[in-house]
Amino acid sequence: MIALEERRCDPNGLAAELERIGGRLMMLFVTPSAEGAHELCAIVRADEAVLRLRVSLGGNSYPAVTPRLPAAHWFEREIHDLWQIVPQGHPRLEPLVVHGPEEGEVRLPDEERLEHRGAERLSGPGVFVIPYGPVRSGVFEAAQFLVQTGGEDVAYCAQRLFFKRRGAERRICEVPFELAVLVAERVSGTSSVAHALAFSHAIEALAQTEVPERACAIRRVLAELERLYNHVEATVRECEDASLSVAQAQFAALKERLHRLAGAVAGNRYLRGVVVPGGTRIELDATAADLIGSTLREWERDWRQVLAVLLRTDSFLDRLVSTGPLSEQDARDFACVGPVARGSGVDLDTRRDLPYDDYGRFDVARQSDGDAMARMEVRFQEVDSSLELIRAALGSLAPGPARAEIGRFELDAALGAAESARGETLYWLEADGPATLRFCKLRAASFVNFGIFNRVFDAQVLTDFAFIEHSLGLSPAGCDA
Amino acid sequence: MIRWLLRGVAHRRVTTRYPRVEEPPPGGFRARALLDPDGVGDLDAERCAAVCLPDALTLSESGHLRLDASRCIGCGLCVDASRGSALAMDSGYELAATSRERLVVGDGAREADISPRSLAGPFRRSLHIRHVDTGSDGAVEQEIAALLNPYYDMQRLGLFFTATPRHADVLLVTGPVTRPMEAPLRRTFEAMPEPRVVVAAGTDACSGSIWTAPEVLGGVDRVLPVDVYIPGDPPTPIALLHGLLLAGGRVQEASPPRLEREGAA
Repeated sequence: MIALEERRCDPNGLAAELERIGGRLMMLFVTPSAEGAHELCAIVRADEAVLRLRVSLGGNSYPAVTPRLPAAHWFEREIHDLWQIVPQGHPRLEPLVVHGPEEGEVRLPDEERLEHRGAERLSGPGVFVIPYGPVRSGVFEAAQFLVQTGGEDVAYCAQRLFFKRRGAERRICEVPFELAVLVAERVSGTSSVAHALAFSHAIEALAQTEVPERACAIRRVLAELERLYNHVEATVRECEDASLSVAQAQFAALKERLHRLAGAVAGNRYLRGVVVPGGTRIELDATAADLIGSTLREWERDWRQVLAVLLRTDSFLDRLVSTGPLSEQDARDFACVGPVARGSGVDLDTRRDLPYDDYGRFDVARQSDGDAMARMEVRFQEVDSSLELIRAALGSLAPGPARAEIGRFELDAALGAAESARGETLYWLEADGPATLRFCKLRAASFVNFGIFNRVFDAQVLTDFAFIEHSLGLSPAGCDA
Repeated sequence: MIRWLLRGVAHRRVTTRYPRVEEPPPGGFRARALLDPDGVGDLDAERCAAVCLPDALTLSESGHLRLDASRCIGCGLCVDASRGSALAMDSGYELAATSRERLVVGDGAREADISPRSLAGPFRRSLHIRHVDTGSDGAVEQEIAALLNPYYDMQRLGLFFTATPRHADVLLVTGPVTRPMEAPLRRTFEAMPEPRVVVAAGTDACSGSIWTAPEVLGGVDRVLPVDVYIPGDPPTPIALLHGLLLAGGRVQEASPPRLEREGAA
């Protein structure tokens, strides 16, 4: 459970205080209060502690944090959209999560102010804009990219998200928490386990409930299995972009084998309906454990063979090396998480930094080049560590129950975290009475990682677009919630 | 490249022979709930309906249960809550139907009155599919993409994805239709030549399912006429194949989610 260090802060001093603390801004959001005086809440990771900065807002505005702390840029736009509270001095305060009356219309960069990042909007003969999405060629999630180009070089690429906003946070508060975990699973359907875990960790912290040892081991197995198929998916996509049909087919087959295993073990190919507050709904008996063990042994052998060939295929490496570079400074400034941050040399992993479910010690994969290849290398290393973690978890399945009863809520607010394949996933829950929730704020890894999408196109060409996008491994569904 | 060639050739065949040969799901697979509407004890009903997040299982004022498979996410909580045997999980892969009424049993259900619809027409041989995401959770897209992997290889059945709606016969829609996606969905549909078929893939596309916020319209059929509903959360690749073949009139639609028990009246 995450221990929070609570501090009060003045709205005028928030930016300075955050800058003084340093550390990584995890969340920034507004909590409603019955009296009508809203409260601004910043969750910050500083050294070994997690800080909760509480700011009482007197009026409908406060001095923006973004000019000093770029990581706040989307959070503050979201606050502006949802609460009509104005972060004064924000460099680009236009709608983010709420789509205007022209719903779904293609918005051209004339209407977007592009001074963000200091880049001027290009004009002149031959410069044009490719509005790509929200209905994209191929089977993709809804998102829009506005690519400014003179023909080959990408001058600027702006991302537009939140076409898929389904109101998950409110839905979670409407239903009993035993059912709300099902909503959390469907925020980002390919990270169901991570979302269910982060949500459950928050509930367990609220009720101060210990999860049985056996449940922790089962959760580790499920979470790492999910990481495996997401990392393989990223590999499939990159092979597809490089037109390596055989590689694509073989990695896709490897991914399919993992989903079949998931279906056999958990009754759902995306491991839904098994992680619940207090533990897990499955017991993972010896037969199931053996099935996982033996399937993954064969799987690992085949994975290694195909991967070895891929890493010797020049036409693949050529497209990824030095493509879509993200500097370590940008990754830190914008508080990126997951393989995107680790590929740029940032040392962070929720499993180690905010320990949960008895993960114990393990090495965090890291690369320093910051390009698409580095992000893929991080994933390849994590496939190895996930397999190792699953083996260890299967070996430590303690006898006993896999689920504890959730008692009355003891705390009035708690933070839950889990490391999805895309990075840190957070749920902030506030309780109202012994068993009901009054407020939920969730932050998927893709919400922060999408924020840097327009910063990885320096000196890139149009044909790199797909490689860059898929190396970031983003989930529009998770971002939009 | 020669290494890839050798790897490609060296592999044994893994492709399913579906639909000629049935594809069995793993035991314990949770596709959807099944209800025996005539065998429900009063004791169960309230508890079971209370744990259904998407309101697939509802209790009428007269105390009768009704199960709508187009809303069911297959979580299995109702079966866990039931003390009797009137509820069970269906592990089947073939779940698609041509109308939502065909997916309802119990109180007020009219499944018997709705005759199966034939979509055969011009689509018996080959279909070109245009996909649109209107707010899915992202897993359905991956299951759709999985149709191209060696295990399912949908092209062997004459099914193809196309980038432009102008070439498409089928509009495959995922997600409960969020407001910002309503207009792009309509425009994609209008760009398609006739005749055309709309397929709603996934429980949220079929009915809106667990999503009730005002940002969500609640199912593709609130916007477009839907010809085939493929429930599932997410629908498995075989379920998607079944639904797409149904759109071409090449397979039978799924039976309603009625639990048949031996010895039951």
